[in-house]
Amino acid sequence: MLSQPELGVYFGLLLFLIGILGVMCRKNIIFMMLALELLLNGANLVFVSASRLTGTIDGQVVMFFVMAVAACEAAIGLALLIALYRRRGTIEADDLKLLRG
Amino acid sequence: MIHGAAENFAENVGSAVGSTAALGIGGISFVILGVLAVIVAAFLVTRRFPVNAAVLLILDFILLAAMYGLMDAHFAAVAQIVVYAGAIMIVFVFVIMLLNLPPEELRYGHVTIGESALVIVSLLVAGMLGTDIGRGAISAALQNYSVPAGKQPYFVEEENVRNVSALLFTDYVWAFELVGVLLMIGLIGAVVIAKKRAEHAESA
Repeated sequence: MLSQPELGVYFGLLLFLIGILGVMCRKNIIFMMLALELLLNGANLVFVSASRLTGTIDGQVVMFFVMAVAACEAAIGLALLIALYRRRGTIEADDLKLLRG
Repeated sequence: MIHGAAENFAENVGSAVGSTAALGIGGISFVILGVLAVIVAAFLVTRRFPVNAAVLLILDFILLAAMYGLMDAHFAAVAQIVVYAGAIMIVFVFVIMLLNLPPEELRYGHVTIGESALVIVSLLVAGMLGTDIGRGAISAALQNYSVPAGKQPYFVEEENVRNVSALLFTDYVWAFELVGVLLMIGLIGAVVIAKKRAEHAESA
């Protein structure tokens, strides 16, 4: 039987995989960003579990930094989303193929 | 073997895990919370409307906060609720309601062959992580529960928040200051990007 932090590592892995699936399979940028938050939370769960597993606190500090970067990323990404919707009238990733030629 | 190492670790550090050999009530609720979090996440990425997905994501954050609390990471649990479920998700919900997308904009999209191959490869790698081979190759450093640069907490017997703050304001103080600068740049950048400029306002 696995101990509690090891189970946390596997749950974090599953959350990370679901986040990757969400980013890849959904073409709506809002859903991609929501799945990105889920992905970061999977990584955070692994950080806290590893911190528990090794008896050090560093993982929780890194989790705090990840959280701050996620807040920054959400603010910039949603601002870009608003600007994009205002300019192009769509936020579907399939419709935004200007750079693809 | 893992149990023995974990018990030795618990004796060494002096923190009462209480759920290493047999999962106690904390371990059982940890498993329930984790399974619920994974199920909610799977529901999340398949919703049609973004508001439903945002509410499910808030639920997922609260479940994760409970898991952090069960792992005695009290600072992480409170920060998860305050920062993620409070601040970030409010921004998401606000933007979703501001955009007010028509339902025909909410398509599922399709997955190409390359993407599905990537998914299969990642699932295989994830499955490998659970086996002895993946465990030996990847988590060899974690096997004896020590990290190379890891150091003991400053206050071994004290509560979690004190340890986190002691580490955050001594060893990681420059990273902490840089995170403050990063957040300020993000704030200014978000205002500048989303601002309606005069020339664009005329054309739009």
